[in-house]
Amino acid sequence: MSVLANPQLWFATLAMATPLALPAIGGTFSERSGVVNIAMEGIMLIGAFFAVAFSYWTNSAWLGLLFGMLMGGVISAIFAWAAIRLAADQVVLGMAVNIFAAGLTAFLLDTVFGFNGTPANTPSLPTVHLPWLKSMPFLSGVFNDQSVLVYIMIVIVIVSHWFLFYTRLGLRIRSVGENPLAADTAGLSVSRLRYTGVIIGGLLSALGGAYLSIGILHSFDVNMTNGRGYIALAAMIFGKWTPFGAFGASLLFGFATALGIALQSFNVSSNLLGMLPYVLTILALAGLVGRSTPPAADGIPYEQHR
Amino acid sequence: MHRKIMASSLAVLTMGALVAGCGTPNNSTSTTNNAGTTGSSAHASFKVGLVTDTGGLNDHGFNHLADVGLTKAEKDFGITGKVVQSTQASDYVPNLQNFAQNGYQLVIAVGFLMDGAVKQVAKEYPKTKFLIIDDPITGMSNVTSAIFNTEQCGYLVGAMAGLMEKQTGLKGINNKNVLGVVGGQQIPPVTSYIAGFQQGVQKTDPGATILVKWANSFSDQALGSQIAQAEISQGADIIFPVAGGTGIGSIDAAQSAGVYAIGVDADQNYLAPATVITSATKGVDTATYDVIKQAMNNKFQSGIQYFNLKNGGVGIATPNSAVPKSVITQVNNLEQQIINGSITVSATMK
Repeated sequence: MSVLANPQLWFATLAMATPLALPAIGGTFSERSGVVNIAMEGIMLIGAFFAVAFSYWTNSAWLGLLFGMLMGGVISAIFAWAAIRLAADQVVLGMAVNIFAAGLTAFLLDTVFGFNGTPANTPSLPTVHLPWLKSMPFLSGVFNDQSVLVYIMIVIVIVSHWFLFYTRLGLRIRSVGENPLAADTAGLSVSRLRYTGVIIGGLLSALGGAYLSIGILHSFDVNMTNGRGYIALAAMIFGKWTPFGAFGASLLFGFATALGIALQSFNVSSNLLGMLPYVLTILALAGLVGRSTPPAADGIPYEQHR
Repeated sequence: MHRKIMASSLAVLTMGALVAGCGTPNNSTSTTNNAGTTGSSAHASFKVGLVTDTGGLNDHGFNHLADVGLTKAEKDFGITGKVVQSTQASDYVPNLQNFAQNGYQLVIAVGFLMDGAVKQVAKEYPKTKFLIIDDPITGMSNVTSAIFNTEQCGYLVGAMAGLMEKQTGLKGINNKNVLGVVGGQQIPPVTSYIAGFQQGVQKTDPGATILVKWANSFSDQALGSQIAQAEISQGADIIFPVAGGTGIGSIDAAQSAGVYAIGVDADQNYLAPATVITSATKGVDTATYDVIKQAMNNKFQSGIQYFNLKNGGVGIATPNSAVPKSVITQVNNLEQQIINGSITVSATMK
């Protein structure tokens, strides 16, 4: 029990949930609009690399973040073009983006920065310290000194929920993911809405990547996402394609990782603990959360009939 | 409809090109360097191929060092060197085969994880010489293994960490007497460092608590950072990561928290000059260079070659200014004792 009372456990939970929640919500946007997106891993890598690179070149972590997200947006726009305009197989495309991004970022890291990697003096985003939390040592231990992106992530969870479920544009994005023919008949542009969904998804995935490179660290390493884009995919499904669900699932994965670190102090095998997030996934998907139903038109290209 | 076909074939072509691109020396990072003006061009026909493990050349560690050794040999001897990086474990065999097939006289495999691949390929190409770093392969006449007694340098940095803990009034050192180790995987090249570290601490600061946590990854910086933070929250004020890229994240966390770290494999002080007090170094560059020289001069010796403190194969990097002179003197004394055999260090973790 002393493990659970330690604020460090919850600090790590939140810190490790953030790079999952951002791409998971990004994927939610994309799939809600009807485009299957398994390219989160690749877009995260792109975001992570360009965030560090521009952070170094402009000497401003915020500009780095902006450019990292922009590059993520550009890649996802190309992905969207191939998926929507060319009606390509979205799973194959997503995989191609992942392989391409892994190769591109490794190549650029070697050629631009050389084998010593990104410079040690690259600026990174600030952490947030709330002095008024001091009177509550537990909350202070959990929330203080987290990267500013952790707070931004929490805002994004709430805003995404509001946007998808309480705004006209959100409703329209969801409608083209459920029944594009009906939406088209009603005069909505299916492709434009899908572009919107995919590109918002790309921006958020890149933000998740940037969190890794300039949020908690200040360097880029080959494949530094370590499969988090795929865990985010699981979190998106597990969260039933809703922002709050994705956030909750990410917290669970983050908790499993954090618990894995904490329990090593009690002589529990680290190999067993490393399995924890994946065991949780299987348990959860096997019925703990009930059925997950994707948007009805998810993954089906829409061709206008005229 | 033809739009769809076009897109699918485009995607397939792209993927095909990418997959085909993996593992052929032609398409990979090449460090061919014939600018060796000091070396004689008579050796240009001596070709050395280097295959990294999945850590890649920018691992700030042993892959990088192997390349440093190769580059130096190219400069000094005028040989032809080429590097191919493995992106996944299944690349090892084809990457090694490729060099052997293309007539490279010496093929260097960097890392314990390539053990099976080297055994297989060395059998297929008996005329090609192989060097494997960190893994003992015996009984094959065309394979030499470079083994580093990293428990010795681990001992020295452990002794230094223990002495640092005993200093009073040193910025960043608390009175909890706790040290943190972040291990990559429980494999001999990692555990030997940690075993030495434990014995070194035991020697100079027997009352210290050593936290050892495993990341089970050599490339997850974010996880390395979290593990180090967990140890720091338990009072650790010197972090010793032995975890490749994962460890870079641990050093980053130590820097942010204002505590100290110890580098591994290469001198990692440049990552965080005020934080990294020293590094336990492993002369992969020396080993690579030496074996190339042996192979060139027809003095290739199969079996295991040991690199240790005595022959300069392992060591510790120059400490930064945070380390008091008296501590350095004591560590140097211990180094002499290991070299002359009055202290023996075990490579097995407690």
